Formats: sequence, structure tokens, C-alpha cells
Amino acid sequence: MMAELRTEEFIVNMGPHHPATHGVCRLMLTMNGEKIVKIEPVIGYLHRAIEKICENRTYAQCIPILDRFEYVTSMSCNYVFSLAAERLAEIEVPERAEYLRVIMLELNRIASHLLFYGVTAMDIGAYTPFLYGLRERELIIDLFEMTCGQRLTYNYIRVGGVSKDIPKQFVPQCRKAIKIIGEKLTDYTGLLNENPIWLERTKGIAVLPADLAIAYGVSGPVLRASGVQYDIRRNDPYCIYDRFDFEIPVRPNGDCFDRYMLRIDEIRQSIRILSQALDGLPEGEIRHKKVKDATFKPPAGEAYARIENSRGEMGIYLVSDGSKKPLRVKTRGGSYNQLQVLPQYGTDMLIADLVANFATLDVIMPEVDR
Amino acid sequence: MTKEELAAYITENFDGKLKPLDSGRYDPLFEVEADDLLDVARALKEDENLRFDYLCNLCGVDTKEHFEVVYNVASVSKNLRLDFKLILPHDNAEVESVQEIWPAANWYEREMWELYGINVLNHDNLTRFLLPDDWDQGHPLRKDWDAPDFVRLPEGE
Amino acid sequence: MGLIKKVPLFTEKIPGGGLVLTTLETVLHQAQAKSLWYLLFGTACCAIELMCTGASRFDFDRLGMIFRATPRQADLIIVAGTITKKMAPRLRRLYDQMAEPRYVIAMGGCTISGGPFYYDSYAVEKGIDHIVPVDIYIPGCPPRPESLLEGCIHLQEKIKKQKLSDWQEK
Repeated sequence: MMAELRTEEFIVNMGPHHPATHGVCRLMLTMNGEKIVKIEPVIGYLHRAIEKICENRTYAQCIPILDRFEYVTSMSCNYVFSLAAERLAEIEVPERAEYLRVIMLELNRIASHLLFYGVTAMDIGAYTPFLYGLRERELIIDLFEMTCGQRLTYNYIRVGGVSKDIPKQFVPQCRKAIKIIGEKLTDYTGLLNENPIWLERTKGIAVLPADLAIAYGVSGPVLRASGVQYDIRRNDPYCIYDRFDFEIPVRPNGDCFDRYMLRIDEIRQSIRILSQALDGLPEGEIRHKKVKDATFKPPAGEAYARIENSRGEMGIYLVSDGSKKPLRVKTRGGSYNQLQVLPQYGTDMLIADLVANFATLDVIMPEVDR
Repeated sequence: MTKEELAAYITENFDGKLKPLDSGRYDPLFEVEADDLLDVARALKEDENLRFDYLCNLCGVDTKEHFEVVYNVASVSKNLRLDFKLILPHDNAEVESVQEIWPAANWYEREMWELYGINVLNHDNLTRFLLPDDWDQGHPLRKDWDAPDFVRLPEGE
Repeated sequence: MGLIKKVPLFTEKIPGGGLVLTTLETVLHQAQAKSLWYLLFGTACCAIELMCTGASRFDFDRLGMIFRATPRQADLIIVAGTITKKMAPRLRRLYDQMAEPRYVIAMGGCTISGGPFYYDSYAVEKGIDHIVPVDIYIPGCPPRPESLLEGCIHLQEKIKKQKLSDWQEK
């Protein structure tokens, strides 16, 4: 006679400090043996009250604070706030500034995806892609440092334009950098895509269905890897993206492998946009004449600006009461929704699969906690 | 549909439940009463010409006279964008949860409750979220909130 | 590397080999300073610069520093990023779990005094030196990788100047 084996569920805490790749996120996992039954994210370990701070700063002083809202793509944070303020004040930005903004935004997207590549591979166990990805990212950081002096939090895109013009050697160095990155992409995929361990750990793991993704407000590469073709640069255009010829990559399966490969495809499309923008860069002003940092006062009203960031939709809802400080700045990041949908589809798998799943969602904690 | 066509369609088909406001500077902005909120939200999601199935943002605003709850929604299949809001008084502000219609609203409403104190009815999990577990100093994002170790930037800086 | 070149100078030849005389402190200091293993503790923007310093262009490994994920195996904690009131007890707990001798580097403006979040923030700890004792402060927002490397070299100098009797007090 065999006795029934009694099993109990127990709680494992994947605590706020785990190998510092994603920041401080705490996941309380209810486990049955090795399988996960329930996930409960506990957040707030990086809540720095950015929204309260912005209510007591002028519009120009908000921009360096919002840099820290999503520090890996800090050009996008500057840009979305400037876009919201420009929509409120109904001002037109000069041509050269728009081209420079597109160049900076796309370079930042490539840098963010290279960091994603390195960090995801390190989470799943491969250490070499980390060194490769960050080595190419340094080429892009050199370009940013040449323009605005900073490596990570730029404070470059301001309301009405950009703050400084690019030096002479920017365009040739940028062309060289994107040529090198385009060639290295075959190395990156060659290192991982045929590797049986990588395929075993990412193919078919953690499929996110498309209707669940839309219901939970998921956007960006995670949504496109589930088969939904929705990119704010095409569906709700902003800046001058309608002048460039590029494709929106979409992958059908929604598993970890698709989420990873989609970002590699996006790097290729960003390189296409960059070549066209560098060819078409016009001469001219870099900032709207009437906008001065110290005295900018948009009329009363409210506007919501949304852009396609490398992590999804980044939005700012800006309410102004006509004074020189905003009344309300609500920041919305893509990672918030992706962390919210994780308990809905991330259960019933092993812990190692949760690590791969969480890595390919590309969550950055300051977007969640603000 | 363009933005003007969208605004006209909404004004025709929602028999006065969505009142247009003129403070929206880019997308159409409407105001809705608290009692009509769930009907309007369901109709916006299920109407065949609109299909607003994607909630971009849900937040609270504290103008010094009243609270507002703002909903920004979008349609993935039809490429449309719409904003609407509710106006609530400062005392005993409460609003129905829309998480049945847009499940993404769950965390947004929880955060709004924690930072503003606007009560959300029929929400399944109104507990501590972003602030420390032993926080007892009220609702920080209100305009009249203060605390002993809260240092404000001096004027003129 | 410098140490190995000097050993032949101090070797005394004796029948059967050689003899090197030194103090216990020198040996311990060299061993400690040249192989500091740091705990990966990155919360915010400075964590990305910490990762860049450990990566290809600026390398931490040439100073003998490699990262460990657990405090039990680390003897240095580089606190990189803003510490909020919710996170502060966890930082103290990690520090308590490290074995002595242990050192703390406060990297970035937020850990020194709150940084850009000093004014108008209700949830940020204004500096970490009232939570853990700090050895080296590195200013910057975020500090460049070269600054971080210089801070680590200063820490190595500080370790070499310690006396054995100081260890008991840490």
C-alpha cells in the first residue's frame, strides 16, 4: 500500500534585491513543488515621488527630473514631456530640431535594445553577450557625450527644440557607428539563435495571448511579439516619422524567443530610419524663437502625449493652469502594464522559466514606481 | 475617422452622457457624471465603430477646488484616441471601478486611491502599493498635504 | 603586479631556497585590497553606470573586483542608486549579512544626500550614512565610470593604511 504523498504550497520571496539587472522588484511566488501557482508583485521600493516634485518645478526644471523617470531611454522622457508642453502651447518646432530629435530617439532605442540583449542573455546564463552588447552601446554613448556631455541622463530635448547643436564630427561618426552595429548584429544572433540551450529555454516558453495583452494595456515589443501590429509611430504619428520609410516587425508566437528576436529586428529598422534622417538633415534653427526656459508659460488646458518607447507606450498627461509650473504631471510607462499582466499568464511554469519570462519583458523599475 | 468626426459621432450617439469640454488641447475631451460612468465605458468599448479596448492612462488630478479622475483610452483596431473625466468634490470622493471593462485599470485605481484618497468601489485589492508598509501620514499627492520631514524647494530657485 | 616585482629584492637566500620577511599586516592588506568582491546592489540610474564599469570598455576585473550576487560572499557593497524609505531596512539587512571586514561605497548624489530628490520628495532617504557607515563617497549624477574606478582605487589605499587593531571596531 502506498501512502498518498502530501504536498503543500509554500511562499518563496524573490526579494527586492536580486542580481541587479532589473532594479528592485519583489515577487512573492506561491509554489507547489517547482511549479509556480501564483505571482504577486510588490512594488514601491523605488518610489521617488517624481510627480510631486514636478508640481513644484518650472517646465524647464522638470526635464532633468523626468530624465530619471526612465533612465535607459532618457531622450524619450525628455521628448514626451516636450511634446505634451508643445501640444498645450500649440507651437511648431523647427525642421532641424525635429530631425535631430528623431536621430537622438532612434539612437537611444538602439542603445536600450543592446542593453536588453546583454542583460537578458546574462539572466538566462550566457555571459558573453553582456560584454558584446555593452561594447557596442559605448559607441552610441560616445555620440551622446559629444553632443550634450552626459552619458546617461541627457537633459537635451527641451520644450520648443533641442538645447545644443551637434558638432561637425557627429554625422560621420554616427554613420560609422551604425554600420558597425549593423554588422555585429549577425554575430549576436549567430551566438544564440542556433544554440540548443537557448532554444530550449526560450522557445515556446511563457506565451502571452494577444487579447490578454490588449486588455491589460501592454504595448511596444511585447505586444508586437504577440502578433498585434500596433506601433504609435505609425498608428498615432508624432514628430516627423511619417516621412521615413521603415517596417514594423511583428512576430506571431508571443513566447520569449519572439520577444527577444523582435528587438533585434527593431534595431535593424532603427538603423534604416537613422540613415534616412542623417541623409536628410537640413540646416536651420534648433529651437523655437519665442520659447525661453525661464519664462515659458503655456495657456491653461490639458493634453496627453504618447510616444513609442523601447519598452512600450510612454505617456505624459500634463495639466496646466496658466502658471509657470505644471499643475499635474502624470507619467505612464510601458513597464507598469507589463508587470501587471505577468501574474495573469506567468503562472504554471518553473522558476527558471519565470526568470526568462521576466527578462524578456524588459521591465525597468523606475517606470513602474516613479 | 478624424478628431472632429469622432467628436461629432460621440455627441450624437451618447445622448448627452458625454459633455464636450474645451480644455483639451490635442484629443477630444469629454466630461461624464459618476452615475453614468460604467454605461458609457461599456458603450465605448462595444460600439462597432469605436472599439475603445485599450486603456492608456487613468489618473487623479487635484485642482485646488475639486478632484478629477481622468481616463485616456485608445482603439487598437481603429486608431482613435479619446479622453474623458469625472469631477468629484474633495470630501468623500468615490468612483466606481472600471476593471471589468478595462482590466488594466486595476493597478491605476489602486495607486490613485493610495496617493489621493479617492475611494474606488468594487475594487478587489485596495491595499498598500507604492508607499512603505507603515505609512501613516495621509495621502501625499494632495495639494494640501504636508509632513515634518518634507522639504520644499525655496521660491526663486 | 608591483608586489611581485619587489619580491626578489627582499628575498634572502638560504640553503634550499629563499626567505621573505614581511609583516602580517602587509600580506593581509595586499590580499584584501587587490581582490575586493563587490555586491551588486543597484537600484536606479547609477546601476547602469556600475554595469558599464564592469563591462568591456572600463573593466572592474583588472582591479581584481568581480561581482557577487549574495552578501555572504562579498566584502564591498557599492550602493548605486536612490534608497527610498521602503528600501532602507533591506539595505541595512544586507549590510548586516556581510562578513567583516566590509566596506561601503556611496555612489552618486542620491546616496550622499538625496541628490535631485532632496526637495519635494516624500519617500526618499536623504543620504545613506545614517543607515550604514560609509567609507568612500563618489559624487556625480551619475558618476562617470572613471570616477567610480578612482573611488575604488582610493578605497584600496584606505585599506592599505588600516591597522590590524582597527578590524575589531568595524
